[in-house]
Amino acid sequence: MGCTEWRDRIMAYVDAELLASEMLAFRSHAETCAACASEALTLTQGKLAVRGAANRYTARPELRARIVQMTAAAAEERREVEARDRAPRRRQAWRWWPQSLVAGTALILLAGLIFVYGQRQQRQALTEFSDLHVTTLASANPVEVISTDRHTVKPWFQGRIPFSFDLPELQGSPFTLVGGRVAYFQQEPGAQLVFSYQRHLISVFIFHNTPQLGLASASFAGRHSSFSLQTWTQGDLRYVIVGDVNSKTIGELAELLQHTQ
Amino acid sequence: MLEGGRHGEFERLAMPLFDSLYNFARWLAQDETEAEDLVQEAYLKALNGFASFEPGTDFRAWIFRILRNTFLTSRTGLRAKLTVPLEPEEEEMVAVTWETPESLALASVTRETIQAAIEQLPIAYREVILLCDAEEMKYQEIAQILAVPIGTVMSRLSRGRKLLRQMLAGERPHSSTPSVQVDE
Repeated sequence: MGCTEWRDRIMAYVDAELLASEMLAFRSHAETCAACASEALTLTQGKLAVRGAANRYTARPELRARIVQMTAAAAEERREVEARDRAPRRRQAWRWWPQSLVAGTALILLAGLIFVYGQRQQRQALTEFSDLHVTTLASANPVEVISTDRHTVKPWFQGRIPFSFDLPELQGSPFTLVGGRVAYFQQEPGAQLVFSYQRHLISVFIFHNTPQLGLASASFAGRHSSFSLQTWTQGDLRYVIVGDVNSKTIGELAELLQHTQ
Repeated sequence: MLEGGRHGEFERLAMPLFDSLYNFARWLAQDETEAEDLVQEAYLKALNGFASFEPGTDFRAWIFRILRNTFLTSRTGLRAKLTVPLEPEEEEMVAVTWETPESLALASVTRETIQAAIEQLPIAYREVILLCDAEEMKYQEIAQILAVPIGTVMSRLSRGRKLLRQMLAGERPHSSTPSVQVDE
């Protein structure tokens, strides 16, 4: 193999991507070819120089601690949710067995599976919304647009998300608008609005209501992963509220959003 | 769902990569706060999706890909996607420059100058050079992270290194290049 053939392969040699036999063949060639040897040397020096310069940044120990803590807490929550889910499913299984034998309930089983799958998918989606809320609170920049004025926050989303929504007048209510940011769920962009209630922060997520969201129920209100959640559809939009306040307070904010003019 | 054992497995695989992930995130975002947010979000996503990770496959490529996708959907990443200048890269290698003894010039370049040049590289070149040279990843692993063919990895590496060499040699790189989107 001559220089012409090696020219395109020197980089692969330097990156140790050639076969062992090819590595040896190039070394033999470089012993008699100053140009190829020089190019290999230049590339190797460049690679080493970049390696030395690129390992530049060290994270703050607080970030590592936060991530260790977060992953441990998330795993614990998942274990609890799973333990709760497993128990009722086992009881249902005992009750349904004889019925399926007697009544030929293939359809019932199928419906049951679809229901369980839908419920599981919904729990997963709600967990992810809770995670998004937690991530936002843990972030140094929880919102991208900071304003208590709905006429500032709503226009900020123009061109950033593929839909529009209305924000309620909060005067006289216990809630204050803190701001908003673009959130991504299942690779789709949506709005995340942050409201404060006393010293608590509440997230309101608004997305196009598509099956990909994984929210089977038209509406849901209750506790999930130790947060209060409420979700509903309004036109072609899906609203999800997440916060660590009680369900009644979440319900009041939902009421305001549902009756926005 | 992650059982206790699986969670332990996640920690065992993921935490040793923390420093590398942060360094990569910082080079991508070029901002400390944003890099912290990216790493945190990537870890959460990886934890949530760990049940879908196939044991025995390349965990490092898997979590780096999550981090990179998280970056691409961030504000800075979305901006970068729209403005990355790339030459046509269809698996075509750049001809090697033979005539200049750049090895001599490289030896006198300071670490800070190299860092400044890496910072100025278009993101599609910066990420591939960082993964190959700083993280010492194989082309196959990089291709998996970037979701592009190996030929494209080699082409970007070749062009990125050429551009870096031009910058370090004080040459003006060619700028009449079209804007194309970074592959997701």
